[in-house]
Amino acid sequence: MKKVCLFVLFSFWAVYAAAQVSITARVDKTALALDDELTLSVEVNGAAGNMLMPQLPSLPAFNVYSREVQQNTINGKTTTFFRYVMLPRFVGKATIGAIRFTYNGKTYTTDPITVNIYRHAQGVQKAQPASSSARVTSSGNYDSAAVKRPVEKADPNLPPLERDLANQAYARGNENYFLIAAVSDETPYVNEAVTLAVRFYYSRPFYDAPYQKPTVSNIFMEDLGSSQGTQSIGGVLYRYEEQRYQLTAASAGKATIGPASVRYMTGSSPLSALDRLFGGSAVSAEETAQSAPITLQVRAVPADGKPKSFYGAVGSGYTISAQTDRTQVEAGEAVNLTITVQGPGNLKSTADLELPSLDGFKTYPAQSVSDTSFAGGSLKSYKIFKAVLVPAASEVYTIPSVKWSYFNPATASYKTIHTEPITLQVSPSTKTDRGFDFGAAAPTGSGFQALGQDIAYLKTSYAPEDSFLEKISIWHTLNWVMLALLAGSVLFASIGRKSLAQKRAYGVAKNQLKKALSDEAVADAVADYLQQKLKISTGSLPLRSMVASLQQRGITPATAEAFSLLWQRLETARFAPGTPDAQSAQDLARQALDILKLMEGEAK
Amino acid sequence: MKRLFVFALFLLGFASAAWAQTALEQAEDFYRQGKFSAALGIYESELKKVPNDPYLYYNIGNCYFKMGSKGLAIANYYRAFRLAPRDADIRHNLTLGLSSVGERLVPSGVPVVLHQAFYSLSYTELKGLLFVLLWLFCALASLWLLKRKWGRMLAASAVILLLCAGWFYLRHTLQVEHLAVIASPVAEIRSGPGTNFPASASLAQGHLITVEDAKDEWYEVIVKSQGLKGWVEKSAVEQI
Repeated sequence: MKKVCLFVLFSFWAVYAAAQVSITARVDKTALALDDELTLSVEVNGAAGNMLMPQLPSLPAFNVYSREVQQNTINGKTTTFFRYVMLPRFVGKATIGAIRFTYNGKTYTTDPITVNIYRHAQGVQKAQPASSSARVTSSGNYDSAAVKRPVEKADPNLPPLERDLANQAYARGNENYFLIAAVSDETPYVNEAVTLAVRFYYSRPFYDAPYQKPTVSNIFMEDLGSSQGTQSIGGVLYRYEEQRYQLTAASAGKATIGPASVRYMTGSSPLSALDRLFGGSAVSAEETAQSAPITLQVRAVPADGKPKSFYGAVGSGYTISAQTDRTQVEAGEAVNLTITVQGPGNLKSTADLELPSLDGFKTYPAQSVSDTSFAGGSLKSYKIFKAVLVPAASEVYTIPSVKWSYFNPATASYKTIHTEPITLQVSPSTKTDRGFDFGAAAPTGSGFQALGQDIAYLKTSYAPEDSFLEKISIWHTLNWVMLALLAGSVLFASIGRKSLAQKRAYGVAKNQLKKALSDEAVADAVADYLQQKLKISTGSLPLRSMVASLQQRGITPATAEAFSLLWQRLETARFAPGTPDAQSAQDLARQALDILKLMEGEAK
Repeated sequence: MKRLFVFALFLLGFASAAWAQTALEQAEDFYRQGKFSAALGIYESELKKVPNDPYLYYNIGNCYFKMGSKGLAIANYYRAFRLAPRDADIRHNLTLGLSSVGERLVPSGVPVVLHQAFYSLSYTELKGLLFVLLWLFCALASLWLLKRKWGRMLAASAVILLLCAGWFYLRHTLQVEHLAVIASPVAEIRSGPGTNFPASASLAQGHLITVEDAKDEWYEVIVKSQGLKGWVEKSAVEQI
């Protein structure tokens, strides 16, 4: 009885399982030109695990030049797609016979499909209204079944970004080429990492497709890499190229992501099927696929409860650690303190960590480096702060814990993490510094690389002799004495210059008189003598006053009278000149010299 | 007899010069072999014979540097620099030595070219230049007083003399400054002249200080780079 029941159950399961397997075949068109290609899609539902390929019937009217297989399992239900691309060989009606598929010992078959092959595309256009009215939708993009089929929905268990992308793709499954974009969150916080995915779907070949990434405003955008994938839409296998970006909003408010675009060339061409079969290629007109723009509403992190140690990081799962390159040093030696923050999101745009004041240390400002990487489908980011600490004296120091806070958007709250305190044992300095190296600089690319610095080599001789200036400075005492003498002489000469002229007055007058050849020359010599020696100006004084002045300066009346007679004669000669006579002038000069000699002796 | 005596003196001088040259060569050999203390001994004995030779100070600095006594090296480089400030090697080594301990030869904010111009003459050369200019000025002043000639030349020489005097004054101020350097590996700066006073800071060798006062075995110093003032043991300091 038990065996009977088991057999019944097994039979029931076998029948049920067999009932779940189905196979359908379809073509992308039922009328085509001789130089066109036909895609035959075979869809097997319910068969899983190892299976044999469907057995195609004899296809004398076609050359099959491409085969593809794809298997999807959604909610435990497996669907396998087999896709064949074929080129027609003859004009006329061609029948694709029943396709056979064997699974678990049972064979399934499809219904035959009939297609009409025309010599030219004009024949196809004439035949299409009669054979199929629902095929062509747009140039290069059509799917006979898509128009009427219900739009599929993505698995709700998928992540939001994947689900959004899949749903957008399902909605556009009636096109052979399309570009879609979606973000992981449309209302992020400032500095919160958001993923943008742009996918280019295609179900047919294309050529030369330059991609233009979207433009953004109020957002920092970083490339996260690209990937490929496939998706079945309405039974048609689509391939897609995906490009991902990480977006970080710079400030609260509106942020926009412009459309991305792909300019592609489709594969339909005027070449014959034979040409394409043997590698010929040509392209049609250029097409452009564009994604829809996206607008983000960026929220500011709440001000309430914002800790002082918050430097702008938004996300979750951050960690912080601190370490020194050594824990036992001598006073005066440098210790490198490294603080590392890591986690998801973008840490590049966060502010630098501020180290607390460390008593007993000379602290050099922290330098920071940061970077992000995309691995395992998620973004990793880190920021490293490096500071140099120099303990001043020997002691046991403790570098206190350093706090660092971030905002968790999932819980809408701030969280503070901190490093562990580090103990440093500083001993008195005992070493003598020996040599040094300022560190090798990185290669500059010019062929020159600094490897270090050292002192210049010895001088192999004594210093050269003192220069002229040095020798002068060595005689500084002599210099001062000589300068003092010079100054004294100049001063003396300056003061005694007038009395010197006074003393030399007679000698000068004597010389002038000896050389005098006229009465005027004699008069000038006498006048100069009176001016220099006795300070009597002959030009402005009458003779009587001159005589009086002479007597005031000690000249005797007899000498003064003789001078008076001489001067009258000179005046007569000057104002009533006669015939020039050198002998007379010489006599006058001798007379004048005698008088001046007397005056020289009598003057005070 | 007189000729014989002169010849003997000449021979003596020649032999002395030859010996001195040999001593320098021997010191260089020691230096190249890494026997820096042996080279140092020769250079120091030569310095007693040829005092104030900047090249000997420079070589002594090199020996100390290679022996790891950065403070004494800097002190000797500084002495050499004061005597021959235009020498590129002396400037290079002094700059390198100072920068290795965080000090600077050229004060921050001062262009290097200006610093080089300021030290384009040694102190004694500058003094000699001042004398030359003074002589020139006095000669022109004499001419002007006696003959009332070259008044403009006199005015120009007066301006130049004043500028040179200003330059000399600045150099003289630095020359008479009691500059010193920390010579021991580490020196502690205390608040008073004794170990019973607490240490407020420690200074590694090579740091420049200015000696302000002295009491027993202690110097009162100012650490310019740190703005510190305190007392340091004399044994830890090398005056320049």
